[in-house]
Order: sequence, then structure tokens, then C-alpha cells
Amino acid sequence: MKNGKRSLMIWLVLSPLLLVILFPFAVMFLTAVKPRSEVFSYPPRWLPTSFRWENFVDMWHAANFGSALWNSLVISIGATVLVLIVSVPAAYAIARFTFAFKQPFSQFLLATQMLSPILLVLGLFHLVVFCGLIDSKYALILIYAAFNIAFAVWMLRSYFGSIPVELEEAALIDGCSRLAAIIRIFVPLALPAMVVTAIFTFINSWNEFVVALTLLRSQDNFTLPLRVFSLVGGRYTVEWEQVMAATLLATLPVAILFSWLQRYLMGGLTMGAIK
Amino acid sequence: MKPRSLNLAPYALILPSFALAFFIISYPFLDILLTSSHQVSRFGILLRFNGVENFAKAFADPLFTASLVRTLWWTLFVVSGTILISFPVALILNQEFRGRGVARAIIMLPWAVSLTMSAVVWRWAFNAEYGMVNATLQKLGIISHPIAWLASGELAFPIEIFVGILVSIPFSATVFLGGLSALPGDIYEAAQLEGASVFQQFFHLTLPLMRPFINIAIVLNVIYVFNSFPIIWVLTEGGPADSTQILVTYLYKLAFRLGRIGEAAAVSLVMLLILFVFTFVYLRIQGKEAKA
Repeated sequence: MKNGKRSLMIWLVLSPLLLVILFPFAVMFLTAVKPRSEVFSYPPRWLPTSFRWENFVDMWHAANFGSALWNSLVISIGATVLVLIVSVPAAYAIARFTFAFKQPFSQFLLATQMLSPILLVLGLFHLVVFCGLIDSKYALILIYAAFNIAFAVWMLRSYFGSIPVELEEAALIDGCSRLAAIIRIFVPLALPAMVVTAIFTFINSWNEFVVALTLLRSQDNFTLPLRVFSLVGGRYTVEWEQVMAATLLATLPVAILFSWLQRYLMGGLTMGAIK
Repeated sequence: MKPRSLNLAPYALILPSFALAFFIISYPFLDILLTSSHQVSRFGILLRFNGVENFAKAFADPLFTASLVRTLWWTLFVVSGTILISFPVALILNQEFRGRGVARAIIMLPWAVSLTMSAVVWRWAFNAEYGMVNATLQKLGIISHPIAWLASGELAFPIEIFVGILVSIPFSATVFLGGLSALPGDIYEAAQLEGASVFQQFFHLTLPLMRPFINIAIVLNVIYVFNSFPIIWVLTEGGPADSTQILVTYLYKLAFRLGRIGEAAAVSLVMLLILFVFTFVYLRIQGKEAKA
């Protein structure tokens, strides 16, 4: 029973941190299901006397949640598809070819990682005004894609490098064309890496705030983070039970996706670090 | 010997990604370079070249200096707090114990939530009248009357640092876990045979071997935290009375609230320079130490 005791000790040591991490989730859930009168009763109490699930319905209409959800989906999926279209060939080139521009290209990607959107936000604003794309979803798709390329290429390259090149060569010897070898042999093997990269880009775009805050004007185009922020920022009365219902709905699917994904992510990150 | 022909395939393959990243990232960069050295109208139209005037104006603003100093504290506290918590957490998560998968999933949870959403929830939790932080602390008898946490910079800023640490732990713990899983097991067996204590093993084996991962975690965290905008913007918007303003929020306010566009561009460049110098110097020093 030594193992059981040790496990208990470890859980005890971790418990303060775990409690602090779970605290906001408890606040989110319990506020989201409280009747309004109990949200604003003093002194505040943790548990609701009754669960009021209608808060979610009220919030959906009051906050125009559906359109924000749609905008976030369109922008995040658009950016993810674009990132894959440009990054998979680039990662393939870096993993499989030697060419003069390889080193500078890698360094360029590294440098783009340091130029975060917030530092360039003024220039991005001018760029988007220049292109006439202010308040447009296309602008966000292009910008999110551009800022995720470096990570995607890095991640994909480290996986691609681990796929033995001999498999493709064998297919070439058997009379496959180069393209057929790539599609038939390489792509199926590389698929898991592409899925992980896609999900990661999706989550990044889904959660982005400052660029959306700067470039989106009309409420109809707001993404979820912006929508939720607009329910809170610069207001005298905030309907907190609705805000928490909105954060819960916006957060839960991605959180579940992510906790399933993080083990794969770790593999990719460290592979990249060692190389 | 085969004649060397220039293979165009790799160039064609990297072209789309290069073109997209180059256009979207270098246009704003050049724009900021130009804007910072020109007198600019409120609507962003360049009027005339004015050298370093925008920089001089920004430096002369006491709010710039205050934000700069606060940014350094913000970065120092969040990054050191994050590393000091994540490292032991990673060591623990690297052990075999019951329910490890669950513990790991919980610790990674904040990573999945956007900073904006986290900050919104914490803003509500720290609400002076109805917030659950006051409710819990009062119940536990730690405080006797509710505290207006976000009403003054002295309390709000430490709270923002606390939230900043909490959301940064998952990434750093992931980097450390990756490093720990790559450590060779046999040297520990050898150390045990030689009679090295657990502490000796930690300080003479684990810590030096983990050095590269600690360095990666520090450099990346400094870049992320230095640039982190949503936590402070959502919790206090840099207020009350600019008492929680850091450079990114100050920059945003200059550009999009006050219309001081030239100065905002100058601040962007100064921040870029700080980050660049930090990364370069840090990696240089670490590289030298590793060789010595």
C-alpha cells in the first residue's frame, strides 16, 4: 500500500495549485446557473438555491452569441486551412531538401515569433486600412495565419523529419511518380502531425484578442473573446450570470479538445527543441 | 560527378508561406519605422520627417517611464513566479502516481482558455461586493470585511501578476516535462550506486541537465509576458488612474484612444529593441556559460 500513500502525499502537495486553477471554473459554472437575484445578493453565496438553465438561453439572445460563435468559427477555420496550405509544403521542403535559402528562411520564421501582433498592432491597422479590409473577417484570417506560420512549420518539420525518407524512395523505385509517392506514402504518415498543428492554430485563432479588438468595428463581426469583453468593458451594469454563461459556452469545447491534445503537443515541442 | 543543377522545388514549396508571413509582418514593421520618424496627423497621415522627436516626446512622458518600470516588474515577477512553480510541478508530474493523468489535465487547463476569458472570470471573482474571492476569504475568516481588490493599483497589480503566473504555468510545465522525459535514466542509477543523495542528484544532475530547457522557458516566457495585453486590459484597462499601465496597454492607449500615433510607433520600436537585446544578451551569456 506504499504506492497509495505516496500518491495521496503527491495529491496533497499539488492541491493548493489545483484548487486555485479550478476556482475560476467553479465561479464560472455556479454563476452561470444562478438566478439573477442570487448573483447580486449580499453577502454572496457559492451555491445557487435552484439551477436556472434559462440563463444560457437569455444570454444567447441578449449577447447575440450565435453570430459571435459563427464569426469565431469562420475566422479560426479559415486561418487554420490557410496555415496548413502554406506550411505543409514549407515544412516538407525544410525536412527533405538542402538549399541555400534554408537557414535564412528558418531564421526569418524565428524572428517573426518575436514580433508579436501587439507590437505591430499600429502597423497592422494601417495595413488593413490600406487594403480596405477594416472590419472584415478576411483581414483577421490573413493575419492569424501569418502569425501562426512559424510555429506550424517548426512543429511540422520536426515530425516530417522523423518519417523515414526511404519509404518514399522505395515507392519511386517501384515506379511511382514523385507526387504520387508524396500523396500515397508521405501524407498518410504525416496526417497526425497535420491534425495537431491544425488544432493548435485553431485554438490560437479562437482565443486571440488584441488584433480583433483593433480591426473589428461592428458588433455583428465580433468574435467570441471580443463579444464577451464587450459585455463587461466600459459598462455600469454587467449581467454577470449571462457573461459567465457566455464564457462557459465559449471555453468548454476548446478546453476539452485541448486537454486531449496536450500530450501530443508536448512530443512535438520537445522534438523541435532538441533539433 | 553529376552536374549541379539548381533545384527550384524547395523554393517553390516555401514561397507561399514566406510571401504571406513576409507581407503581413514586414509591412507593419516598415510602417512603424516610418511612422515613428514622422510627424503624424490624428488620422495616421504622415506629415513630415521629424527624426527622433516622437521618441523624445515619448521618453519625456512620465507615464512612459512609469509604464516601462512597471513592465519590468511585471515581467520579472510573472516569469520568475511561473518558473519557480512550474519546475517543481513538472518534477512531481514526472513521478508515477495514481491519477497522474487527471492532475496533468487540470494543470494544463488554463492554457486552453483564452486570456480574455480567464481575465473576465477573475474580474468577476474579485468583484468587491458579490465576488467569490471575498466570499471565500470571509468564510475562512482571513478577512473581516470585503476588499475592493481592483479599485487601486496597489492591490490590482499584484492580482494581475497572480493571474499572469497562473495562466503561464501550463506552457512552462510542458517544456520542463518534455525535458525531464528526455533525461537519461542510467546516470541516476550510477549516481545511486556511488551513494549520491536525492539532493545531490537534483543539484548535480537534474538541474545542470535541465539547463537548456530552463533557458528556453525563460526566454519564451519573457517574450510572451512582456507582450501580454488581455489580462491587464480586461481587469483594469491600465487603470485606475493609469496605476496598472504597462507598455503594451500604454501603447494601445496612445495609438487608439489618444491618437498620439507617432509616439505609439516609437514605443513599439523601443519595446522591440528591449526584447531583441534581452534575447540576444541572455542567449549569449548562457552560451558562454555552457562552454566554460
